[in-house]
Formats: sequence, structure tokens, C-alpha cells
Amino acid sequence: MIELRFHRELYDGKSVDEALKIFGPHASFEQAEETAHWIVRLSAADGAREKRVAGELSNYALGLTIAAQAKKLGRAEKTTATAKQEAK
Amino acid sequence: MPLESLPSDLVSFDDQDGAVHLKVDDGLYPLEAVYAAAYVFIDRCYVLLDKPASGQTRVTLSAKKGTLAGDAARELVGEFSNELLSCAWRSQIARENRATIEAVTAQALSGARGAPSLEELEAFDFSDDAFEDPLGIAMSWEEKYAKKKGDPKATAPTPNDEAATSSVTKPEAGK
Repeated sequence: MIELRFHRELYDGKSVDEALKIFGPHASFEQAEETAHWIVRLSAADGAREKRVAGELSNYALGLTIAAQAKKLGRAEKTTATAKQEAK
Repeated sequence: MPLESLPSDLVSFDDQDGAVHLKVDDGLYPLEAVYAAAYVFIDRCYVLLDKPASGQTRVTLSAKKGTLAGDAARELVGEFSNELLSCAWRSQIARENRATIEAVTAQALSGARGAPSLEELEAFDFSDDAFEDPLGIAMSWEEKYAKKKGDPKATAPTPNDEAATSSVTKPEAGK
């Protein structure tokens, strides 16, 4: 069993959930929460597969988090630009 | 286990997991730079971020295929550090130029709204100078060649005169 700890300040919760849905068929997952982390425990048929799924899952969750952050930032910038234009 | 030629308090290598850990100071590298650098490395290795302490981010890199050896680990962490520095610098430039970018974008958006309405044209102040012209280049033809009072010789040239003086005589064929 491999335990992955996703820090709440670094990972978007929805992104972690989405990644778990995607990788659901490849391993069995157990979810837990701590004050600072989302915890995912995963187990697969063998150690190599476990390691691979854990790595791919963490990459996927990180990628979705970064995309979500970029979207949020873009939306904020768009709002600022619109507000400035309206002020003129 | 420390890696050769890299600071042991910032970089460590876990030979059991075949992963390299890099501690990043949040004061030097903003989170968006860490994200950007991590995103670049996602296709090459597995990247996991964590916060072991406040003001610090830990980046864990592990190989997708096989295990990381000493030299490969050092190379990977070196490339990641360079990418991180590049991303931090780009992020700072973007932050400094944000006001300019927003101003240009706002102007472009207002220009894309189309032709002004009659109300907007009515409210427009045409008394403003269109632009500064310290060399007098934008002077009108009439102003430039106006007939001066009390100067009988001075006559306003016609556009044809202007063309004749500026034209170049063509060389005759055969000479």
C-alpha cells in the first residue's frame, strides 16, 4: 500500500477527486482527511503497478490543479480588465 | 542521502524510493513558478508537492521508468532548479508589466467595440489636439505655402510645381 499526501494549500480538492475517478479502475483507493492534507491510500496487484498508479495519479491531480489555478487567475484578470474598461 | 555538488540542506536523494527531494523557499520562488516548473516536468517524471513547514515547499521527483541513479538524479534536480528560476523570473516580469498589459488589452477591447454611436460622437471633445507635433510636420499645405502679405513675388505654388521641382530628370536612352 502506498500513501499519498496532497497538501490542501497546494492541491485543489476537486482536482484530487477527479484524478481518483479517472484512476479508479486501475487500483483500489481509500480516502482520508487531515487538517492540512487530503490522504489517498492505494493498493494494486503488485508493487510496480502501485508505484506507477501513484505517480500517474499525483501527476494528474497536479496538472488539474494547475489548470484550475490558471483558469481562476484568468477569470480574475478578465474581471479586473472589464472593471477598468467600465470605469473609463 | 546528499547529492554530490548540491547543498545537502536543500536537496536529498532517497535511494530506496529512487526519488529526489528539493526544498524550495516560498520567499524566493512564488507558488505559480513552482507550479509552472512542475508542469514542465510532468511528462518526464512523477512530481509530488508538499509543504513540510510554512514558507517552504518540497518537490519530490521520481523516474517514470526504472530508478534514478546518482548522476541522473543530480541532472534532473539541476534541470528542475534552472526551470524553476526561469519560471520565477518570468512570473516577476509578468507581475511588473501587468498594468501595461491590462492597459493595452483594455484599449484593444474598447477599439473592438465598433464604430461610435451618435451620442458618443456628440459628446466627443474635438477641441483636443490629436497628437503632439513639435516639428510642424502636420502643418497643412495652405498654411505652409500661404501668400505672405506685402510680398508680390511670393506666390503659392500649385501641387504641379511641387511635383516638377522634386522630379528627377530621366537619362536619355543610349547615353
